[in-house]
Amino acid sequence: MGFLAPWFLAGLAGLALPLYLHLLKRQTRTPKKVSSLMFYESRTQSSTRHRRLRYFLLLSLRLLLLLLLILAFANPFVNRDAATLASNRLVLLVVDNSFSMRAGTRLADAKAAAMVALGNKGAARAQVASFGSQLRLMTQPIEDQAALRAAVQAIQPGDGHGNFGELARAVRGIAEAMHTPIELHLFSDMQRSDLAATFADMVLPDNVRLVEHAVVTKAEPNWTVESVDAPGQVWGKDVKPVHVQAVIAGYGTPAAQRTASLIVSGKTTATKKVMVPANGRATVDFPSLEVPYGFSRCEVQIDAADNFPADDLRRFAVERSDPQKVLLIHNYGDTRSPFYVGAALSAAAQSAFIVESIIGNEAADRKPSNYAFIILSDLNSVPSLLENSLTEYVRQGGSVLIAVGTSTGARSQIPIFGAHIVDTRDYNRVPDRYMAVGSSDSSYPAVAKADGWAGVKFFYALNVDPGTGPGAARVIVRLGDQTPLLLEKRIGEGRVVLLTSGLDNLTNDFPLHPAFVPFIEQTARYLAGSERQGGARPVDAFLELRNARERGQGVEVTDPEGKRPLTLGEAASAQSFQLTEAGYYQLRLANGRQNVIAVNPDPRESNLDVIPNDVLALWQGKGADTPRNASAQGPATVPHKVPESLWWYIMLLVLASGVAESVVASRYLGTQREEP
Amino acid sequence: MLQRFLNPSILAGISNLELVARTVVDGFVAGLHRSPDFGFSQEFAEYRAYTEGDDLRHIDWNVYARSERLYLKRFQGETNSLLTILLDASNSMQFGSHSVNKMDYARYLAASLFYLAIHGQRDAAGLLTFDDEVRNYIRPSTRQGQLHRLLAGLEQAEPRARTDFGKPMRYFQEFLKRRGMVLIVSDFWESPESVIHTIEPLRYHGNEVVLFHVLDPEDVRPKMSGPSILVDMETNAELEVTPDYGKKEYREKIEAHLADLRERTQAAGMGYCLLMTDKPLDVALREYLTLRGGRK
Repeated sequence: MGFLAPWFLAGLAGLALPLYLHLLKRQTRTPKKVSSLMFYESRTQSSTRHRRLRYFLLLSLRLLLLLLLILAFANPFVNRDAATLASNRLVLLVVDNSFSMRAGTRLADAKAAAMVALGNKGAARAQVASFGSQLRLMTQPIEDQAALRAAVQAIQPGDGHGNFGELARAVRGIAEAMHTPIELHLFSDMQRSDLAATFADMVLPDNVRLVEHAVVTKAEPNWTVESVDAPGQVWGKDVKPVHVQAVIAGYGTPAAQRTASLIVSGKTTATKKVMVPANGRATVDFPSLEVPYGFSRCEVQIDAADNFPADDLRRFAVERSDPQKVLLIHNYGDTRSPFYVGAALSAAAQSAFIVESIIGNEAADRKPSNYAFIILSDLNSVPSLLENSLTEYVRQGGSVLIAVGTSTGARSQIPIFGAHIVDTRDYNRVPDRYMAVGSSDSSYPAVAKADGWAGVKFFYALNVDPGTGPGAARVIVRLGDQTPLLLEKRIGEGRVVLLTSGLDNLTNDFPLHPAFVPFIEQTARYLAGSERQGGARPVDAFLELRNARERGQGVEVTDPEGKRPLTLGEAASAQSFQLTEAGYYQLRLANGRQNVIAVNPDPRESNLDVIPNDVLALWQGKGADTPRNASAQGPATVPHKVPESLWWYIMLLVLASGVAESVVASRYLGTQREEP
Repeated sequence: MLQRFLNPSILAGISNLELVARTVVDGFVAGLHRSPDFGFSQEFAEYRAYTEGDDLRHIDWNVYARSERLYLKRFQGETNSLLTILLDASNSMQFGSHSVNKMDYARYLAASLFYLAIHGQRDAAGLLTFDDEVRNYIRPSTRQGQLHRLLAGLEQAEPRARTDFGKPMRYFQEFLKRRGMVLIVSDFWESPESVIHTIEPLRYHGNEVVLFHVLDPEDVRPKMSGPSILVDMETNAELEVTPDYGKKEYREKIEAHLADLRERTQAAGMGYCLLMTDKPLDVALREYLTLRGGRK
């Protein structure tokens, strides 16, 4: 026995209070005046004796009441064997329904083992949960066998990737809420890939005892289509051949020849044989993917030769559409910029964009909203009409790339972008005659794929003030002398990217470097907003349904089974959506675009290797020498001590003694009533 | 409705003793109209021929209008009497368990009786206050302002010392020339034998003697929440007493005392009226009127 809050025992000093009051009260008697003592007689001794007896009872009750209250606050507990607390413990049955449980009869075996465990649980309360990427409780803690069995039977195979770290986190939450011993029965294939990144994430609380029921004890060979590399979009009618590359992986497999097929909209368009080395990977290349306009549901599939056919295919979706137009407005006489930009876009962006270049004076009658984005290159003067229309275009969500050249140096401010020009930097006058990139933000897509612009020489740049506060521009690349080179600024709903040097090879040699192509490609994709949702996503990934300016506009999601998983409210307001099933999701986004997303299970689920015994024993807290408990023996009764609080019992005693005190006090201290 | 002003607790809120007396008597008289047993001062007795010197206010002008002769209208209550109240002003009269103590009650009683006697009956009224000595004596009279003198005497009667009937009674007998009514207002914390022995001589002179025994409810039924120390208000003696004693033995003794006093008083040819301070004053007024009615 002990106390959970022993410092409250200091309140025992309060017991002196009733003692003091009672002793004091015994000494105090107020004389009472009467008309005459003619008929009174003294009764001193008997009265005192009587009073003492009654006071003793009342005093005892008051002392008891105070003592119990202090004990209640100190919260005493007794250590009891967990086995004796059968009615208090919770048996938590967790059935793994991650994607790997589709292999063979794993899920059926796990459910059968859970049924056996339910039969052996005795009088304890139990709760059933399924566990894929996250724990999903199927029942409340109940004793009803029929309801629990029905819940086990209702568990369906899932497509998620199991993570024991997530399971441990959920169980920790339950343990904090329940305050009772929990027996966690885990029915799983104990995949090695389900282990959390660090073992600390999988630690269970002290009052949780893990009993694992592995449905398989050793790894099984398995081939799978690990990944498919295919473009999400192709543009135009006559484009270069589109390659599709698939990686076939084998886990615990011997060297074998597999047949891979490319299937487009249900039709097999190509078949290839590939030799997959033992426990290795092989790449299959389908040189030409022919897809019609619109969305095509494609997949790469291998012939079934293992116990896990569900992972023998990998889906992807391809959209064929017309290329987007880009308007490049340049200075009169500047022919280099259109040439370099056009070449870069046609080389890298799979003909996604068509560059239309005009000089500044001709741009006044162009409607910016007809273009995916606008490029302003080395303009010494922007017609005010064009500037106004471009500013309005940006505010409403459009994007502009501004490359200043030597001509802009005469101005005090960058048009549209709004940054103040501090001075011009002509690096021909420095000893090296150029300046290289000093620092860059590698998280920015246009820079990340361009290898940080290493080796690029900049001969001329404008030093602009990015500003401060909420309206400040984000500096992405700086030159060696800290001059901002690439900046981005959000204006209204749109964005403007500023290159403080030019797009020709006069102010720098950037267009001559390989980094120029990915820079132009990524910048174009970024500004055009055509970073497509992607042809394929993993299960449990989140999909962005709308951006900030598309609030209130409805989206429509159709899952692989043809159902609409979003409610009307969610369709009007949800920012994102979790893809929980493998298959093709059809989307109609807030901006009106249609999209098809192919969702594939996590490739780690295809690796059917199991967790070693010593790791499992470590997780169970038993040490390495304990054999794995792989049988469905039901809840074991390993004796361990569990503190049981006596708070409720003491509060009941407080109530009883309080009532007794009231009765005794009212009988003794109340005013005596006149008898009739 | 006026009868509620007979309640001593309500009277305690009235500071003017004359107003108290008027309120009590008016309320009492208003109540009498519903009682056929009592008809007193305004009851017609006879007509008498007018003689010179008679008060013109008593002439029945209706009869004069019919017969052109002057007749006086006479009433039964017009016989005059002599009323003397002996008021005990000892310390024990100060005791009170509620808003009205015994002295206040006695004052209200005496004031009401004086008002009834002087204004209602036109009797001569006097007052003697005493404890163990005679403290104040106002001779009975019908003079103008007698009521105010009596009420002032009542106001000045502050309780002090202890009761001793012997000396005041002897003193009073010396002044008692005419027969009349003698009302003794006290809590009579003496043995009945001693009380009667001292008061009885007043009766020998032909006086009607009535004992108004004023007691507080707690004098009869004491309340104690526990063993208590009791202090005698007259002697300051202390005694520790249990509630059980107050409930049983004390009550038996006080009831025996009251019965003994009543019996001995009546046996001596005197009247006895027990007045509890939580009861209305009309009992005392009825007793007085009954007594006066018997004297006609």
